[in-house]
Amino acid sequence: MHYGSRTTVGFAEQRIDAVEKSTGNVKYLGDKSFQGMLHAKVATSTEAHARIKSIDTSEAWKVQGVRAIVTGKTFPFPIGPILADRPPIAFDKVRYYGEPIAVIVADHPYQAKQAAGKIVAEYEPLPIVNSVEQAFQKDAPLIHEQSGQYTKLIDNVYPVPGTNIASHVKIRKGEFGKAWAVCKDTISATYSFNLSDHAAMETRTATVEINSDGRVIVHSTSQSPFTIKKIFNQFFNLDVGKVIVHIPMLGGAFGGKGAVQLEPLAYLASNAVGGKLVKLQFEREEDMMTAPCHIGFNATVKLGVNEEGKLIAGQYTFLIEAGAYSDQAAGITRAAALDCTGPYHIPNVWCDSYCMYTNHPYATSFRGYGHPELTFAIERTIDQFADKLQMDPIEFRLLNVIKPGQTTPTQSILTPNNIGDAAKCMTRAKELIGWDGKQPIVSENGLVRAKGVALFWKTSTTSTNAQAGAILKFEADGTVTLTSAAVELGQGTKTILAQIAAERLKMNVSDIHVTMEVNTQYTPHQWRTVASSTTFLAGNAVLAAADDAIRQLKRIGAVALQCSEEDLDVGNGRVYIKAKPDIGINIETVALGYKYPNGHTVGGQVIGIGVHVQRHLTPMDKETGFGDPGPWWSVGAQAVEIEWDESNYHYKIVKAVTVLDGGTIINPMTAAQQMRGGIFLGLSIARGESFEFNEQGVIQNPDLRTYQLMRFGEQPDEYIVEFVETPAEDGPFGARGIGEYGVIGAAAALANGLSLATNVELTQLPLTPELIWRTRRAAYDPV
Amino acid sequence: MIPFNFDYFKPETLEEALKIYSSEWKLGKKVIYLSGGTEVITFARGGKMTFDSVIDLKGIPECTMLEMQGDDLVIGAAVTLNRLVESNHFPLLSKTVRTIADHTSRNKITIGGNLMSKLGYREGILPFLITDAIAVVYGPAGTEAMPVDNLAAAELAEGQFLTQVKVAASNLDLPFVSMKRTRSSKVGYPIVSLAALRKEGRIRIAFSGIHEHPFRSAVVEGILNDETIEDQQRIDKAIAKLPTNVTDDFIASKDFRKFVLNKLLTEMNAVWEGSR
Ligand SMILES: Cc1cc2nc3c(=O)[nH]c(=O)nc-3n(C[C@H](O)[C@H](O)[C@H](O)COP(=O)(O)OP(=O)(O)OC[C@H]3O[C@@H](n4cnc5c(N)ncnc54)[C@H](O)[C@@H]3O)c2cc1C
Repeated sequence: MHYGSRTTVGFAEQRIDAVEKSTGNVKYLGDKSFQGMLHAKVATSTEAHARIKSIDTSEAWKVQGVRAIVTGKTFPFPIGPILADRPPIAFDKVRYYGEPIAVIVADHPYQAKQAAGKIVAEYEPLPIVNSVEQAFQKDAPLIHEQSGQYTKLIDNVYPVPGTNIASHVKIRKGEFGKAWAVCKDTISATYSFNLSDHAAMETRTATVEINSDGRVIVHSTSQSPFTIKKIFNQFFNLDVGKVIVHIPMLGGAFGGKGAVQLEPLAYLASNAVGGKLVKLQFEREEDMMTAPCHIGFNATVKLGVNEEGKLIAGQYTFLIEAGAYSDQAAGITRAAALDCTGPYHIPNVWCDSYCMYTNHPYATSFRGYGHPELTFAIERTIDQFADKLQMDPIEFRLLNVIKPGQTTPTQSILTPNNIGDAAKCMTRAKELIGWDGKQPIVSENGLVRAKGVALFWKTSTTSTNAQAGAILKFEADGTVTLTSAAVELGQGTKTILAQIAAERLKMNVSDIHVTMEVNTQYTPHQWRTVASSTTFLAGNAVLAAADDAIRQLKRIGAVALQCSEEDLDVGNGRVYIKAKPDIGINIETVALGYKYPNGHTVGGQVIGIGVHVQRHLTPMDKETGFGDPGPWWSVGAQAVEIEWDESNYHYKIVKAVTVLDGGTIINPMTAAQQMRGGIFLGLSIARGESFEFNEQGVIQNPDLRTYQLMRFGEQPDEYIVEFVETPAEDGPFGARGIGEYGVIGAAAALANGLSLATNVELTQLPLTPELIWRTRRAAYDPV
Repeated sequence: MIPFNFDYFKPETLEEALKIYSSEWKLGKKVIYLSGGTEVITFARGGKMTFDSVIDLKGIPECTMLEMQGDDLVIGAAVTLNRLVESNHFPLLSKTVRTIADHTSRNKITIGGNLMSKLGYREGILPFLITDAIAVVYGPAGTEAMPVDNLAAAELAEGQFLTQVKVAASNLDLPFVSMKRTRSSKVGYPIVSLAALRKEGRIRIAFSGIHEHPFRSAVVEGILNDETIEDQQRIDKAIAKLPTNVTDDFIASKDFRKFVLNKLLTEMNAVWEGSR
């Protein structure tokens, strides 16, 4: 190890959870069992929209082992992270098929499940709102009659009472109307797709126990430990300090575990049995039908250019399908608005982003938080517009790409620090995919090869006071234990934080021990592990903690080495004199204080503490959207090459390219893997994933037999990931967030490639052979 | 998890299996047979099936054998799909069943379970329908041999279970095609699946996915073998003779199923042409 240049940041360190995971030794929450534990199960609605006339629990009570049955009457109040519109257990009304109507607690899981099947609810059916388009119509049946009276938990949520609009977020930048009137050419197109699932390998689980002294102990597969505390405090009137949340390593999350659904149910269940430990674990079908899912989307995009082909006006109408309750869809509605243009400089922007209620399962955050969805609409339109303007789609993008000095839709000013180099990403992706102009290649056997690209951006829309903390505790042997509330969900965050700590402390990564579990009792506060924010927030907190520790080491070291603190440096496991590096002392001799030969000791354990909070973020203005909602924009380009079989409409994804500018890359291996995982997820969603509803609003494919994920072997043959590293001055070692990004452009790039190959404009997902067949039939042989 | 209690039996002989069935049935219980258990477990878990007693057939030698006996290949009902693929006694069967579910599931799924599945696909039956295979069932009336066709649309009698399927050795190595199309992922129920072979110059063909049951139709075969009309016409005509209620669901619309079938038949013809 040498002083000066970097030793671990920028290197492909092995993930610290690699061995445990690959040997199958990780214990997930569902694997854990505790003495005396009781089990809960939800009984769910068999109607998508109905008034509850009665719930008869008498047959359920007859099942052996049943200890409690909780219905909506126990807690008839709506809760929620943004707009409190969702009772944890339905009362009065059910708003989706699969919604909890009762929770049964029993000695064994099968007894609870059996009893759940014996709950008899009598309903008075109401007209169903079965699509987001229907929800938006003036005379649509109302799903929430009282939406005007719901409590708002954060800014920037605007329900429109008397409609199915849970929030309406506006962007008004420049003068759209005037600009539109003078456009040389314009285009307008509409896109849509249904709700879908996160399909994390680990289904959701929560356990709750209420101690006799009033402490509430929660274990959960959650990305939001502190949100659980907040919600329990706000809605159950519990002291924040009395709610203790434990989060073990998660088996995937993709945003779906940011929502707080199971914990309140388990709390009500535990409360009903005198505080006993109750476990609620969702089976796959419940995880798909009852738990929150991925938003559905409908977008109309209008773009206009001037003589030079520069975009001067853009209008965007987004209908974000929230399903029965707004949950994070209300936040996504805002996030989609504030980045509505994609990474293009457009001086005149008009955006109406609507969060729409329907009688479908409710949606929450999904990796990319509205951006994979809006990117699909924007990038399809950009391709179509380039075609209309007879320009190469990549040239058209490069002509309009946003740059430092320009402003975002909310009029945030971009600087070389807060945005990556989108043009560079695009240019590199173009090389890597082997772009040869926009033309498909037809082989003799009817296989058509085509390429599609997408350019994207995203800011990290955290709350304006989002923060993270870190503690570096020195052990007797001079190694360090790192504690933070960053949740490990497969993204490698704990490894990244260890590298950041090791780099600043100039130690080996192997000497940083990271606590995997989060325990809110001793881990410092962290907003949530979402929004690609952890490397930035927790990483900066780790740096601050490391600096704090270094100060302490120097203070004790100065005593031991009989010099001043300024003379000293820390590194390589030692505190040493800068000018004479061979004079120094091992950290282990000062980690718990320095002991003189006579036994006297000075100092004490070195514990570095650091906190980092977002700087200068503001909410958005209600009428114009004006504000600074995010700290930085990571940008990227993706490209996909496909081979489409003209005869049977099936296609194969041959190659996928991702080029991302996320500032400094802390670990190129985990980062590349994160991008591959992202594009896999994006392609899977685009290709086959989608909930299919029948007339009654019931999901037809609520299991992994019928819900079509991309399987192993169906991924692209070639997966290329590269990074452009434009450092962010205020990120840890210049890093911005990258967590979600791999997913963002996937659907758009695939749809662009397929549209080119098939010679029709594909505007819906999933991109099944039947969709292509129908679109082509409508275009070429109308009946 | 299965939300109800049931008794589990694992007999070692056919007689014992039947005896258990009868005695449980007489007590008014709902009894079912099980071999791979993948469907029984998922259906019971999902509330689509209940029972009081389960009789597992995997302990019965007749049901687990896989060997040539004289002029027949004898396939026990409890032989897993992966074992069929790996042993490859019957290449058309291997090719067909390896498109069912995924490898891990095929370690469990059995041919008997697939043939007796409550789902309408049962692709494993297609190779048997076109090789005049014999289903051997055991039940209150003793051992009974019947054409496999009898299983395609009808249920077995109370207490009866499938023990074996027999295929004549002379039918194992005929030229064949096996084709399948799904909605998007390869792992999935068929939009259309077909198995076909040529015997004595005639095409034999059976389908899954287009109708509520897998089927082989003499009429369709007749048309496909009619050399007096030209290829595409023959295909169009055959499709016109399909059962009227072609499946129409979220996996594929009726029209798309017909389109896919049309393409598969064209591809099939191309394969036959190529092999001539
Ligand atoms: C992911 C996935 C994908 C799938 N894709 C396909 C597909 O593409 N095509 C397809 O055809 N199938 C598909 N299947 C369905 C699968 O082939 C069937 O569910 C199959 O029946 C399971 O076999 P098993 O041996 O596990 O049956 P079991 O669960 O043991 O039994 C199934 C049924 O048959 C009865 N039974 C079993 N053995 C006998 C017997 N010897 N005599 C009488 N009755 C008996 C049982 O009582 C039960 O009703 C898929 C399944 C999965 C999980």
